[in-house]
Amino acid sequence: MQIAGLFFVLLLALLLVACEPGSTPSGPGDTVSVSERMGAPPDPGFRRAERPRAFDFPADHGAHPEYATEWWYLTGNLESAQGARFGYQFTLFRVGLTPGPPAQDSPWRASQLYMGHFAVSDIEGQAHHSDERFSRAALGLAGAETGPLRVWLGSWSLQGDPASGVFPLNLQADTADFALQLTLQSGSRPRVLQGEQGWSRKSAAPGNASYYYSYTRLPSAGRIRLGTRWYAVSGNSWFDREWSSSALGEDQAGWDWFALQLQDGRDLMFYRMRGKDGQAQAFSQGVLVDEDGSVSRLNPDNTRLQPTGFWVNPDGVRYPVRWRLAVPEKHIDLQVRAAVPDQEMRHSVRYWEGAVEVSGSHSGVGYLELSGYASD
Amino acid sequence: MKRLPRLLLRAGVNYQWRHPWQAFLALAGIALGVAIVVAVDLANSAARATFEVSAKQLRGAATHRVVGPDGRVPTAAYRTLFTTPGLPPMAPVMRAWVEQSGSGRRLQLLGLDLFAEGAFREQLPGAIAAGDLRHWLNQPDRTVISAAAAASLGLSEGDSLSLQIQGRQHALQITQVHGESSAATRDLLLVDTATAEVLLGMPGFISYIDVIAGDRPPESLDALEALLPAGLRLVSIDEQTRSTVGLSAAFELNLTAMGLLALLVGLFLIYNAMSFSVVQRRDLFGRLRAIGTQPHEIYRMLLSEALVLALIGSLVGLLLGALLGQGLTRLVAQTVSELYYRVSVDALHLDPLSLLKGLALGLGGTLLAALFPAWQAASTPPATSLSRSGLERDTLRWIPFLALAGAFLVVLGLALAFLLPGGLASALLGLFALVIGAVLITPASIPLFHRLLQRLPLGGTWRFAVRDLKRHISRLGTATAALMVALSAAVSVAIMVESMRGAVGDWLHALLNADLYVAAEDFGNGARLPDGLAERVLSLPEVAQASRYRNLQLSLRERPLAVVAADLAPQSRAGFRFIQRLPEQVWTAYDRGGVLVSEPLANRVGLHAGDSLPLPTPEGERSFQVAGVFRDFASEHGRVFLPWHSYLPLWKDERINTLALFGNGQDAATLKRAVAPLASIDAPLVFTEARQIYDESLQVFDRTFRVTEVLRSLSLGVAFIGILSALMAIQLQRRKEFAVLRAVGMTRLQLARLILLESLLLGAIAALLSLPTGILMAWVLTAAVQLKAFGWSMPLTLSAAPQLLNLGMGLLAAALAALYPAWTTARHDPAPHLRED
Repeated sequence: MQIAGLFFVLLLALLLVACEPGSTPSGPGDTVSVSERMGAPPDPGFRRAERPRAFDFPADHGAHPEYATEWWYLTGNLESAQGARFGYQFTLFRVGLTPGPPAQDSPWRASQLYMGHFAVSDIEGQAHHSDERFSRAALGLAGAETGPLRVWLGSWSLQGDPASGVFPLNLQADTADFALQLTLQSGSRPRVLQGEQGWSRKSAAPGNASYYYSYTRLPSAGRIRLGTRWYAVSGNSWFDREWSSSALGEDQAGWDWFALQLQDGRDLMFYRMRGKDGQAQAFSQGVLVDEDGSVSRLNPDNTRLQPTGFWVNPDGVRYPVRWRLAVPEKHIDLQVRAAVPDQEMRHSVRYWEGAVEVSGSHSGVGYLELSGYASD
Repeated sequence: MKRLPRLLLRAGVNYQWRHPWQAFLALAGIALGVAIVVAVDLANSAARATFEVSAKQLRGAATHRVVGPDGRVPTAAYRTLFTTPGLPPMAPVMRAWVEQSGSGRRLQLLGLDLFAEGAFREQLPGAIAAGDLRHWLNQPDRTVISAAAAASLGLSEGDSLSLQIQGRQHALQITQVHGESSAATRDLLLVDTATAEVLLGMPGFISYIDVIAGDRPPESLDALEALLPAGLRLVSIDEQTRSTVGLSAAFELNLTAMGLLALLVGLFLIYNAMSFSVVQRRDLFGRLRAIGTQPHEIYRMLLSEALVLALIGSLVGLLLGALLGQGLTRLVAQTVSELYYRVSVDALHLDPLSLLKGLALGLGGTLLAALFPAWQAASTPPATSLSRSGLERDTLRWIPFLALAGAFLVVLGLALAFLLPGGLASALLGLFALVIGAVLITPASIPLFHRLLQRLPLGGTWRFAVRDLKRHISRLGTATAALMVALSAAVSVAIMVESMRGAVGDWLHALLNADLYVAAEDFGNGARLPDGLAERVLSLPEVAQASRYRNLQLSLRERPLAVVAADLAPQSRAGFRFIQRLPEQVWTAYDRGGVLVSEPLANRVGLHAGDSLPLPTPEGERSFQVAGVFRDFASEHGRVFLPWHSYLPLWKDERINTLALFGNGQDAATLKRAVAPLASIDAPLVFTEARQIYDESLQVFDRTFRVTEVLRSLSLGVAFIGILSALMAIQLQRRKEFAVLRAVGMTRLQLARLILLESLLLGAIAALLSLPTGILMAWVLTAAVQLKAFGWSMPLTLSAAPQLLNLGMGLLAAALAALYPAWTTARHDPAPHLRED
């Protein structure tokens, strides 16, 4: 999920850089595309992830305002007792506007901004519902704190257990049309530090990296509302945490990111960086997590990834929503296909993020993120 | 309609061709009537449209609003709502009028949280987001303005804008100018909520919360309401806006009534013109009838003629109305801005509906006015057609019946206005019935005047003129009526305005009886006096008594209600004029916690002394007994005075907006010198003497009625055209008679004097008749229309000045109208006219 972070840098850059002269003003209500803005250098006042660090939990579950961007990223596949299947995505992004504190003349002042993306995929109904929210981190309108963990944007929140501080986590998000209330247990799977001990490098440039850890399988139960109807649901969630101050390389266009939970108990994460030439790049990587938590590293040498089918959005953008993913040395050869073809997030940033079904050598479920396809 | 026979068509066209002046005057009557109605309508709809556009732009998609008891909402309440699941989208808003330093120009400061705005105001957040957000959120004194505002302020991006807010100087940096160029954004300064909080000096508070309920189930609104702390309320924006628009509705009604009066005068002109053209052609019609033309053919010919005239006149009227509307729009916008809410009118909005209305009135009115003359022409047998005296006999026979019908209408009009419960509509209907009744009585008065004037021991030209009055009654009747209507409309409006001015003046004079008023600078925006000032002021030896006032904006039945929490000194109490109870009774009840209710509110809600009035308070809704109803012109929505000792335990806020001071006999200047040192530099005070407030208030009053003045002159103009056309028609028709008079020895000068004298007699009769009519109309206007529209009553003030002015205007109009006919007739060689037959 680190890629989503890079991706988000785009949004940051877009919000912070004034429009080109003569162009129409764009606000949070406008849709923007992934663009060369990704290359915008971050404010030099923010710290950069230059070397591995010692993590400190639960403090590291909270915000790191000395870094420019950060997120709490949850996805999952859920099922009702009657067999109705759902996917969900719930993400709270933190955007550092300036490294220091804001002016102190009013409690409304803020140097941090939060953005929330929330989506529910109704697999039976082949429908995708999504919404977006923003708020400044001021006056208790949005923010992140530990003891217990609480990350919130208005009424959308991820709330830790008062006793343990973290798990079980309560997720709460609602819109006029759909809502989700979910309790996430820690389960048996340990936390996975991505990259080198949680230091995940994105390119050869020094400091172009992030701090990144994941919970790949959190048993989850709760309820989903679609319209006025509630469904009791359960399943597994995937929780990614990442913070950085880095930007995407100038030759990079986007990425394809997979988070798969296989029926045999293994979890697989892999992302492929795409250059502007459409080719996969060397910085693509991933992990295969065994049931006992042991981790094998994946890279372009041991993992093969090939799109096999496309969905075309109303604007004519082709998203690869069917894939073949193979790790021969682990005897893995998977067919990955979107559970609903249209799971495009049409908000401030346009991307495709949705539930997928896995078949082939192993069956399973997961989430797929496709970025950098829309109007480039 | 079947085609008219060629002969009739030619007869009609020839007649108009040979009497271009008459055709022109008929057209002018129609055109002016239509023009005034269209202009008034355009001005009204332009002012309304502008208001609606700016209101809509500001509220965006919001459907509801959370408002507080004193015009503000605690920020903490917003946080609670924003972080509670299941509620509709909402956004905090801070809003106030601020002033540009130096120019004194008023600008609306709008503090928005860009990140809560996505779903609300479409253009505005986009405009901000295009700028540098880092500084927008975390640096003070940044603003974004529209291109329209930048142009009108003469500032551009990067410039600094100096503001005076609550007596303090601030400089805002214009970080961006966005492309929006509508008039609605011209006075708008967009700032972040943080900046607004600092500038407006309201830490911990916002102005209100906008809510989009959309198609959410009503339960989500119930849930929101249930979460509101005591004192906060959820209101529907539609209702709020409607009440603001309602403010101007009363003003609009004033204008519309004037416009319709002008049309009425216009209709008389048309009738006048049509009936003249019939009377003049009686010989022709007689001959046509004699050679076998059917009555219905003559009828159709005249109606076709009227239709053509109406079409041309109405089209010219529309054009004229559009031009006139432009000026009037500016005038109306100015008045509305001064009195109610700020509107900027850029260009004339040509509302097609207004134009259609004008066209319909012009066409329909003309046809209606032509019906009777056409019927008259068609229905009289050939024999009488040829005899002019037959017509006058006919008319004389009709006159008593008309007068009877007129008297009935007058009574009916008064009954409609005063006895029937039907609200404003019946009062206006009554007014029109009264006017039409007076018109019908007018011809009957001419023979009376004739008899009266005959007795005067005057000879020569005078006798000629008096005799002619009765001889030409069929023509003079309508002309006199038209002038009478115009004059009585003018006199009634003059009396109404004067009565109102007198009543407002008395009211202000009684109420503003303190020596000196002290308020915080920017009190207009609710700024409060520094804490403890009242106590310090009262301890001064120069100050004998003081009254304290705190202004609150509450709402009653979804309409804004001004509530004044007041600690009233005995002298201040003496300024109130009560309607239903004796002052002693009222003050006893007030001291026991009862409230004073203004007359407009009492009339609107149906309150009487002793009733109970529920008001929203921070502790929830409370009922107050009505101690008394006082005369008040401050607001047509009504005001309530709440005793200080009832207010304080509920609102728990001792801050006040205004202090009224009574000295120990010194003048205001001495008092001011004593109090002034108590003001600090941080919180400058404004000292106002009662006289100053009084003068300023009356100035505003006079400005309000400027539009009325303009309309009054316009309708007089229409009447002038009417009387000119009537006189000219008469004189043209009497050319042979004048030729005979010249032939038997009358000099040019004597003839001109005769014409002038006749005209003056006509003007005098119209003016005299307009006095009682005007007074009756004024009575209906003040005691019925005003009461029903605004809720306030006032004594009728009758002074000689408007009446004399009216008489003068009538005579002047008549004299001016006679000048040209007198000149041409006197100049003409009589010989050709003698040979004519």
